[in-house]
Amino acid sequence: MADTTEVKIVSDSVTAEARARKENRKKVSNEPSKLEKFWKNNFGFMFILVWLVGFLIFRLYPFISSFIYSFSDFHLFKGIQEWGLMNYEDIFTDKKIMSSLGTTFAYSFITVPMKLIFALFIAYILNYKIKGVNLFRTAYYIPSILGGSVAIAVLWKALFRDEGVINAILGFFGAEGVNWLSDPDYALFIISLLRVWQFGSAMVLFLAALKNVPVELYEAATIDGASKARQFFSITLPLITPVVFYNLVTQLCQAFQEFNGPYIITQGGPRGATTLFSLLIYNRAFGQYEMGMASAMAWVLFIIVMVLSVIAFLSQKYWVYYGDEK
Amino acid sequence: MKTFKKVLAGILAATTLLSVSACGKTEEGGTASGGATTGGAAASGEEVTIKFSWWGGDSRHEATQAAVDAFMKKYPNIKVECQFGAWSGWEDSMSTAFYAGTAPDVNQVNWNWISNYSGDGSIFLDMNKVSGTFDLSQYDQSALDQCTVAGELQAIPVSMTGRIFYWNKTTFEKAGISTPTSLEELYAAGEAFKTTLGDDYYPLALGEYDRAILLVYYLESVYGKAWVVDNKLNYTAEEITKGLEFIQSLEDKHVIPSIATILGDGAESLDKNPKWMDGKYAGIFEWDSSASKFNSALNEGQELIVGDYFKDFGEYQGGFAKVSLAFAISENTKHPEECALLLNYLLNDPEGTAIMKSERGIPLSKAAFENCKTQGLLNEMVAEANTKVLAWVDYPLDTQFENSKLKGNPDGVYYDALGGLSYKEYTPAEAAQILVDGISEVLAG
Repeated sequence: MADTTEVKIVSDSVTAEARARKENRKKVSNEPSKLEKFWKNNFGFMFILVWLVGFLIFRLYPFISSFIYSFSDFHLFKGIQEWGLMNYEDIFTDKKIMSSLGTTFAYSFITVPMKLIFALFIAYILNYKIKGVNLFRTAYYIPSILGGSVAIAVLWKALFRDEGVINAILGFFGAEGVNWLSDPDYALFIISLLRVWQFGSAMVLFLAALKNVPVELYEAATIDGASKARQFFSITLPLITPVVFYNLVTQLCQAFQEFNGPYIITQGGPRGATTLFSLLIYNRAFGQYEMGMASAMAWVLFIIVMVLSVIAFLSQKYWVYYGDEK
Repeated sequence: MKTFKKVLAGILAATTLLSVSACGKTEEGGTASGGATTGGAAASGEEVTIKFSWWGGDSRHEATQAAVDAFMKKYPNIKVECQFGAWSGWEDSMSTAFYAGTAPDVNQVNWNWISNYSGDGSIFLDMNKVSGTFDLSQYDQSALDQCTVAGELQAIPVSMTGRIFYWNKTTFEKAGISTPTSLEELYAAGEAFKTTLGDDYYPLALGEYDRAILLVYYLESVYGKAWVVDNKLNYTAEEITKGLEFIQSLEDKHVIPSIATILGDGAESLDKNPKWMDGKYAGIFEWDSSASKFNSALNEGQELIVGDYFKDFGEYQGGFAKVSLAFAISENTKHPEECALLLNYLLNDPEGTAIMKSERGIPLSKAAFENCKTQGLLNEMVAEANTKVLAWVDYPLDTQFENSKLKGNPDGVYYDALGGLSYKEYTPAEAAQILVDGISEVLAG
């Protein structure tokens, strides 16, 4: 009997084990395979594959390869003969390159403030409830869409050539015409003006920021007798500083990389007065086929833009007001 | 929803792969370098597509397109896709395409492109390999030699060209003088234009590169030696200074407008300059093959005539002629025979050459020249200018003369020296030194 009981106990435990194993197997079979797990975990990448492939090929690869080439004398049709720091040494000793760098700084420091002030000014006006405001908002945005094109070049040249519209207007008022396109002192201003004219995107951002300024603050200020100008500088401007900051950084980056304006209107002339750094990089790369030098110049430009952006970010705490700050 | 997402992701992934693969470089070509296929697809009736590129003005575009259409009618199994545009920016895009191996199958090329881009013969097909299809016997060996680099005939020269004066006879008549035949008369014309017609009128207009060519013409006329000999600049800074003083004298005597004045006109090129169109700039020193372009740009009622070389520049006949342009087949084309067939049609065939006429200058092909001449298809002005150029010029042109480091606008050496001289940034001696240093550096490689 005892034996029978023992056998039964053993048999029961075996059955329990088998059942547990079966349960376990069941559980395991319900779990996804490694491939399924990988697919599940990385499924989201499929949605950004278009961007990802574009990024890898058109951004990351040139980013890395240009850095490598910048240490070579890579010529498109002669190949690479030498490796070293010679391009970087040449950049800081070549008068033309340094002059172009100076022109780029001048262009950026003229264009960015002018564009931001103008965009804010127009946005401020368009923030008021005036008749046909939507039409004006659209009209002011249109130049931003046009970008740099042959049509714009023709328009700009027609406006600013010696016998152009602007000089005709000046002549009408008895003023002497200016050699806008041929005088090195004015040509850069003409190129800047093209970018300033395309202020639409900055204006839209300012407009959105202005809409978010609480009306109560203006009401309280009006009751306290604050003038419109005081209200603008003490209420409006501080409250929209995050957008001013954003516009400043993006416009600064764009200005340092400006290419279209000088390329289509002045081709860098007269006497190199509008040869911005990006145009010089293009000329070196596709005019003289010096890809190594062009890559080094592109990296210098990248570092300059990065340093200026970092400075702008670090300066935030002194002048940018975020609502959640105490 | 989950299935929809998966389908969506699949579509996106497939689209990406497709678009990326479309960007890939074709690797199938290149058989031509190992020997052209005989007969090609055209002979078998297989449908092929070849791409053909050129630059030029409207009249050249129209003639070439008409010739291509006639070619496709004659060879219905060959489809030719044309890519053409103005010169401005053309070399930039083509040089990149040559390097990347994405250039069209047949290309109009500048003479110096052969040595600049295919110095080792790797970019353009050796035309000797398709001589069964393209009739090389129509060309003088001396002309073919000019396009032979690295032992390979890399292009077919279309015509020879040189710079010569053209005058707007109507404006000169308005000023009450005849068109100049000597430097003395040209100086006098400057004064006459200023006093009779006004400050806006000039007997001649020259950009920076035009001035560089006129400078060489003048110096060769004075000193009787070629600009570059044995890959070395053959002129001293002092000699060049004398030439630059001559160029500056043209500006000072109201013969040519300053560079600032030309830039202030806001025109892309001289033929598109309103002052040229309405006769305020009454002369140019241009390639003989460019006559049609400048003539057709003139407003109605104006007459352009070919000028003469000035004999009072010096004792010698300065100036040079060069291959104006050429046609080359890309080394990596998949259809070398069809490309050669197209070129033969455009350059040698009676039907094709009758349509092409002298849009690229007076044809070097004997068959084309005879055909156009007997049919009266040569542009009279181009023919007259070409005859005068070839009869006058005595000196060779160095292939590096048009090197982009020298000719590049705006930072090439010619632009720097001659622009700086015009803007009074440099004295003639300083500008001469810039030329000597820049040219010597380029020649040294």
